[in-house]
Amino acid sequence: MAQVLRRRGRIQVKVDKREREALIGIIDSLSPRLAAPLASAPRAYDDAKLQAEYDRWVRPDIEKGREVDLTMVRDALSGGEDTLPLTEAQTLVWLRAFNHLRVAAGEILGIEADGWEETATDAAKQQPEYGVLMALGYLQEELVAALDS
Amino acid sequence: MATTSAPTPTKAPAPAKAPGREERDQREFGWNVMVWNDPITLMSYVVLVLRRLFGYDHATATRLMLQVHNEGRAVVATQPREQAEVSVAQLHSFGLQATLGRP
Repeated sequence: MAQVLRRRGRIQVKVDKREREALIGIIDSLSPRLAAPLASAPRAYDDAKLQAEYDRWVRPDIEKGREVDLTMVRDALSGGEDTLPLTEAQTLVWLRAFNHLRVAAGEILGIEADGWEETATDAAKQQPEYGVLMALGYLQEELVAALDS
Repeated sequence: MATTSAPTPTKAPAPAKAPGREERDQREFGWNVMVWNDPITLMSYVVLVLRRLFGYDHATATRLMLQVHNEGRAVVATQPREQAEVSVAQLHSFGLQATLGRP
């Protein structure tokens, strides 16, 4: 499993070729779903008029940012290196990208309530998106710990 | 046939009551930024985002995260409307469920 290390103030992700390919595969398979508005896309306002303005003027930047996050992580993984040094800003990009992917995976699995890890059936655990949630959750925890250390 | 008549004296309409300062402040500055629970986002990630965006210490960010988790939502900041909208957009960019509204 990929490792996140903090050495001399720098964050490094150690990720071998097979893991890089798997992560790129996750990005490629879930990106099309992220390109469309997610059913779970958060609203900003209760008021319909204010929400419409938000959707018109603010949401496109958020969606563009999501695309940039995923592209940056994909590009880093495509560089052929086993050790990827990350600045704090890049670490935040990775965290956001993994969160985007986890949200998409959760939506595919139909997860709507806390405790899904405990209540998941064996069949659900066999779904590739379940593996995505667990693997990227692990990496997110590692990246958060690295930023906090 | 047109008729003329002396103008009828009219009573000047009462000016609309200007909003008081407190009401104005409430409208302009008192917008709550609310984070809502979702089943996917990691607790540690929520704490990190609240610390990074609002400058909270770890204890405050953790308390707010737990309020979101246990009660379904928490007000994480109260700001002028424009700033509150920027905060919500930043929270959305991190993938959190967030809204803004008047108390």
